[in-house]
Amino acid sequence: DMIPYTPTLASSSLLGRTTTSTFVLEQPRCVFSTMENDTNIIIWLVVATPEGRWVNFNNSLGPGTKARAFQMFPSDTSAYMTLGTTILQYPCLKNPGDITVLRVGSETSCAKNNSRPTCNGPLPFPGPYRVKFLAFNGSEPVAETDWSAPITLKEAKAYNSIPTMGSRHSGGMIAITTILSILFAVLLAGLLAMIIS
Amino acid sequence: MAKSSDGIHILQGLLVFGNVVIGMCGIALTAECIFFVSDPHGLYPLLEATEKDDIYAAAWIGIFVGFALLALSILGIVGVIQCNRTLLLVYVILMLITYAFEMASCITAATHRDFLTPNLFLKQMLERYEKPETDSNSDNWKTERVTETWNKLMPQNQCCGVQGPSDWQEYTSAFRITHSDADFPWPRKCCVMNPQESPVNLDACKLGVPGYYYNKGCYDAISGPMNTHAWGVAWFGFAILCWTFCVLLGTMFYWSRIEY
Repeated sequence: DMIPYTPTLASSSLLGRTTTSTFVLEQPRCVFSTMENDTNIIIWLVVATPEGRWVNFNNSLGPGTKARAFQMFPSDTSAYMTLGTTILQYPCLKNPGDITVLRVGSETSCAKNNSRPTCNGPLPFPGPYRVKFLAFNGSEPVAETDWSAPITLKEAKAYNSIPTMGSRHSGGMIAITTILSILFAVLLAGLLAMIIS
Repeated sequence: MAKSSDGIHILQGLLVFGNVVIGMCGIALTAECIFFVSDPHGLYPLLEATEKDDIYAAAWIGIFVGFALLALSILGIVGVIQCNRTLLLVYVILMLITYAFEMASCITAATHRDFLTPNLFLKQMLERYEKPETDSNSDNWKTERVTETWNKLMPQNQCCGVQGPSDWQEYTSAFRITHSDADFPWPRKCCVMNPQESPVNLDACKLGVPGYYYNKGCYDAISGPMNTHAWGVAWFGFAILCWTFCVLLGTMFYWSRIEY
């Protein structure tokens, strides 16, 4: 069934909310509350590109299959599934002041390892991406949330493009140069007058 | 001996006083320039790598000019008291040479200070920090020293990057080539460290949780001492030269009033 929850990015007080290859989501706490006690349920995160065709997204393609493998993304598949956790990890009760987030893209070690299709690998391009949570009981999808708003990552500019020229001379430097030059010229004139006379 | 009128005596007194002040200023200039050259903040490698390190050359010149001013002021005092025209002529000529050097030092310090902008240091940091060693050796020592300086600067001043940790996100860099964005959104040195030199909470640092990483940029910590250095050399030198100008004019006038 559809759960009316939209996954959102974490609070903007986190500087690493979006980087060039990762982003941080709020955990879906208190979202799957009807199933909280069923320990067989695993919540997966689906990350998709616009070609994923959200309208007709096939929920029954399970995690760990080639069609939803991180390593096949984005060339051979338009979505992958990762961060599978039991529902017990998202309890409704949370301590105030706790930061409950999910960092998408943090596992660099398994990014190229085909035997780990549910790897939470770094995202290969700046996006935009959309995500949703999908709950599976065994191999059956049982609940899903809405798709999130499009998430775009940061893009780094080339450091060569930083302009370092354009240093205009400050007023102080011009004052020092002109005044000292004039004074020096006067002194030289005085020296000449001394020697000649 | 000179015409024994009060005017000449007053002029003599003023010139001796002027020379005493020049001597003391010479000592002060030497001391100030030695302090700057000793680089107490360890920022010289950053300047060296930009090849715009002439504010150090200006400070070196300042050291020698300071000694010269001290020596010449003593010569001047002796020449004024003894009313010796030859001594005073030598004094004026040597003072003019010293004046020219000090002028060069002031102008160099002021001009090169204008080159030190945030973008200059930003580009250098992105280009050189943690750059992998290459076979051509000419630049490796610069890279090493820049890396070492930044690694010391960031924990010491509790800052990160030039304008902030987002420098590492907004621009590509040599650092990014060897350190992936997912593991190192910004260098480890930007994380708050415990006494064992490891991050207090590495995940919090990578997420950017306030309090676990250094949010402010290092530009103030770099430009503060450098500006003090450059303006100290430039403006103090300027003040000394203005005073010296007056003393020299007085000496020339005095010289023309005494006879052999």
